[in-house]
Amino acid sequence: MTTYVLRRLLVSLPVIFGILVAVFVITRVLPGDPCRALLGEKATEAACTAFNTRYGFDQPIFVQFIRYLGQVLSGDLGESIRFGIPVTQLLLERLPTTIELGLISLTIASVAGILLGISSATRRNSKRDVATMIFANLGVSIPVFVLGLIFAYFFAIVLKGTPIALPPAGRYTAGVIPDEIAVAWGLGGLGGPLRVLLDFISNMAIPNAILTLRPDLLIDALSHLILPSIALATIPMAVIARVTRSSLLDVLGTDYIRTARAKGLSAREVVSGHALRNALLPVVTVIGLSLGGLLSGAVLTETIFNFAGVGRTISEAITARDYVVVQGFTVVVSVGYVVVNLLVDISYAYLDPRVRMEG
Amino acid sequence: MSAQTPFRRALRSFLEQRTARVGLIIFSVLLLAAIGADVISSYDPTGVLIGVEPTAKRLAGPCINLFGCEGPQHVFGLDSNVRDVFSRVIHGARLSLQVGVLTVGFAIVIGTLIGAVAGFVGGWVDNLLMRLMDVLLAFPSLLLAIAIVTVIGPGLLNAQIAIGIVAIPIYARVMRASVLGLRDREFVSASRALGSSEAGILFRKILPNALTPIIVQGTLGIGGAILDVAALSFLGLGAQPPTPEWGSMIGGDRNLLFSSPHVVVFPGIAITLTVLAFNLIGDGLRDALDPRLQR
Repeated sequence: MTTYVLRRLLVSLPVIFGILVAVFVITRVLPGDPCRALLGEKATEAACTAFNTRYGFDQPIFVQFIRYLGQVLSGDLGESIRFGIPVTQLLLERLPTTIELGLISLTIASVAGILLGISSATRRNSKRDVATMIFANLGVSIPVFVLGLIFAYFFAIVLKGTPIALPPAGRYTAGVIPDEIAVAWGLGGLGGPLRVLLDFISNMAIPNAILTLRPDLLIDALSHLILPSIALATIPMAVIARVTRSSLLDVLGTDYIRTARAKGLSAREVVSGHALRNALLPVVTVIGLSLGGLLSGAVLTETIFNFAGVGRTISEAITARDYVVVQGFTVVVSVGYVVVNLLVDISYAYLDPRVRMEG
Repeated sequence: MSAQTPFRRALRSFLEQRTARVGLIIFSVLLLAAIGADVISSYDPTGVLIGVEPTAKRLAGPCINLFGCEGPQHVFGLDSNVRDVFSRVIHGARLSLQVGVLTVGFAIVIGTLIGAVAGFVGGWVDNLLMRLMDVLLAFPSLLLAIAIVTVIGPGLLNAQIAIGIVAIPIYARVMRASVLGLRDREFVSASRALGSSEAGILFRKILPNALTPIIVQGTLGIGGAILDVAALSFLGLGAQPPTPEWGSMIGGDRNLLFSSPHVVVFPGIAITLTVLAFNLIGDGLRDALDPRLQR
């Protein structure tokens, strides 16, 4: 197991290095003149020279890359051109929103997807199976932005005035302002990494409401989170349901399941005690793989529901030509994606000894 | 025996699946719409109707003569620029089919070449190419596409290039796996013994035999490519107005959703059905062509 983990770690390092190279190449080499890209077409020659000297663009590209690498490794992702604050600070504000939205969506997708898959596979070709598979096929085909907009229209306009009406956008209702956890706990003067951690958690609406003991905030945050998280969860849910179904059908056809049936176990016991455990192995992989899609979907979901998360920040940064933000956010999100995939692979190896052996 | 060529067997096995037939029917309708767009709708997809049609009102809802609506017929209503939504959706079908096929075609050609060379040559070439592919795969797909479009500039063609680049590793991996499986087979050794050049073996013997999984993957990929290009257009990075592209139609009018849902709903249905058709056909092809699944 340790060898496997070490080997996977070693394989990931060049990939992370590759991400840094790719992002550097994409943002520094291709746009031609970074000065004109940032200061605008009408920037004077003198302004550009000053700009290039300041950011090191007058150095050879190789030197620029080493310099960039050093900055990234020391946690410096540059300064946002639009907001004038460090990219890391912007990340601290925006990343928690996306993590929260993503985690809730992933939970909904996994739980609902696995349950749908099981109910489909155990009643193969029944009406419920057919309905689930039609849902799954539609679910992977409908664009997130269409689904999100339809949800917003239906729950905010059609159901307006009913108890299940939900807000169409935003993180909180206007006027509802969350407290900082550190302040609520009387630690306002606290600094250092602990404060950073508390501020990070503060920016997640639900943990914040719970930790600062504000039920009004919890209800408000939840009502704003339901639609975006379901919209974002639909595609992975459909994929997980399909994989669970086909994997469980495969396992249910094997000899050891026939043995379990022959010794008189009920259908429920056969599925929950014997089949499910093996059938869920491929599902773990798919859940891991769906993270990339989730991050892509988050860009669109956050745009539609007006969430100040990583996705919307990136798409706004593009419009504003704030390429330092695009570069920094892309690096962090992609490296995070690689790390999470690594964890998924390791957990997969832990669950299935065959993976460790093959390596 | 003559009726049982592999092609016919695969075709029959494909058509036996109900879902595949549904996909084929949706696809045929789309294809007809795409080919006959100019005949089916008399309205110019980019033409503003102010001054052309006295009764035309901005964001007017659907008007169908059959259901008792008098006046000029606008099956899907009018959009915020007083253009016929039906005509735009129909012309969008043409655009989306082109976008899907071209984007995937681009990714297949480059991905197949990379995968074939990596698998056939092996050694450090294989290592280098596949690590490159790993890096491309390490990015969340839409994020990488956004980053690429940021650099090369927005536009439908650039969005296609970006989505195409992002899809390359999928085909490279599939192709490499096929080539590795075929490289040491007898028929390859035989043609080497007969004096074929290495390139000849790769392109004439191995590639044709390795294409099946690429075709299946490609069909499934068209749906994904249409979705992704629509997403980029929705964000304003792909097709630019007034191009009748579904994603940009939705993105352009999305703030009007609450008052006039028809401007979002109809293009939305069109994207969903198109992607659904390719997914169903792709699944059907996979089941029909995968020898391991043959009954």
